[in-house]
Amino acid sequence: MQDSSPFSFTIVITGAPYSSQAPQSALNFAEAAIKAGHRVDRVFLYGDGVHLASALASPPSDEPHWPREWSAFLEKHCIAGVACIASALRRGLVDEGEQKRYELSASNLLTPFIIAGLGEWVEGRMASSRTVYFHGSD
Amino acid sequence: MSTLIVIDQPPYGGWAGREALDMAFSLAAFDQPVSLLFCGAGVNWLRKGQEPGTVRQKSVEKNLAAAPIFGVEALLADSDDCNRYGLEPGHLLDSVTLVRTDPQLFAGYSHTAFAG
Repeated sequence: MQDSSPFSFTIVITGAPYSSQAPQSALNFAEAAIKAGHRVDRVFLYGDGVHLASALASPPSDEPHWPREWSAFLEKHCIAGVACIASALRRGLVDEGEQKRYELSASNLLTPFIIAGLGEWVEGRMASSRTVYFHGSD
Repeated sequence: MSTLIVIDQPPYGGWAGREALDMAFSLAAFDQPVSLLFCGAGVNWLRKGQEPGTVRQKSVEKNLAAAPIFGVEALLADSDDCNRYGLEPGHLLDSVTLVRTDPQLFAGYSHTAFAG
């Protein structure tokens, strides 16, 4: 690629950690993009990808903790991490607001992720110069 | 900036197709031009007379029938894949347009997306 002007990216992850490579590949991509001088505007979790925002994932200590690695990356670079609300509620991922609304026994959304609608994806693809998707194996 | 959302999975066996449909409706709600392309086993979404009650799912047929009302520009189906699944034009929902899935088709859209 000869054009050296920086891109801005919206990254969409639809594959879950530990059942797909998607969150890991997306993190490698995002780190490489920033290292190369590009910008990541936001990360949007959709479908099974919302499992990446679970504060309750507890992989064995000798395996990468993808939710925490993503969380640290988002905080370090001040990138918005958004989980789709419809995907999240179906799969048991809730913040404190949704916990109260649905009278659930707990909430489990990992900081700094937030829960919001598909409008965040629509806005992201309009605002960023590129939107890149990382899917699971299906 | 027109978007083509591709559904290549059959209905009812997974959620990726439904979530792709939500993406299309969401774009349409924000007045973004969007069309849906059904290919591979995904053409079965377009079959008339679906009765998924026995698997305790809602029919996708109603959602698709509403797509033009919500602003989805076109429901496209790959003609070869329709033949492969024995779908004659009379078996398909009324608003479906048969197309050949080739580079020329994709060139008409600035974005292409799958749900998963």
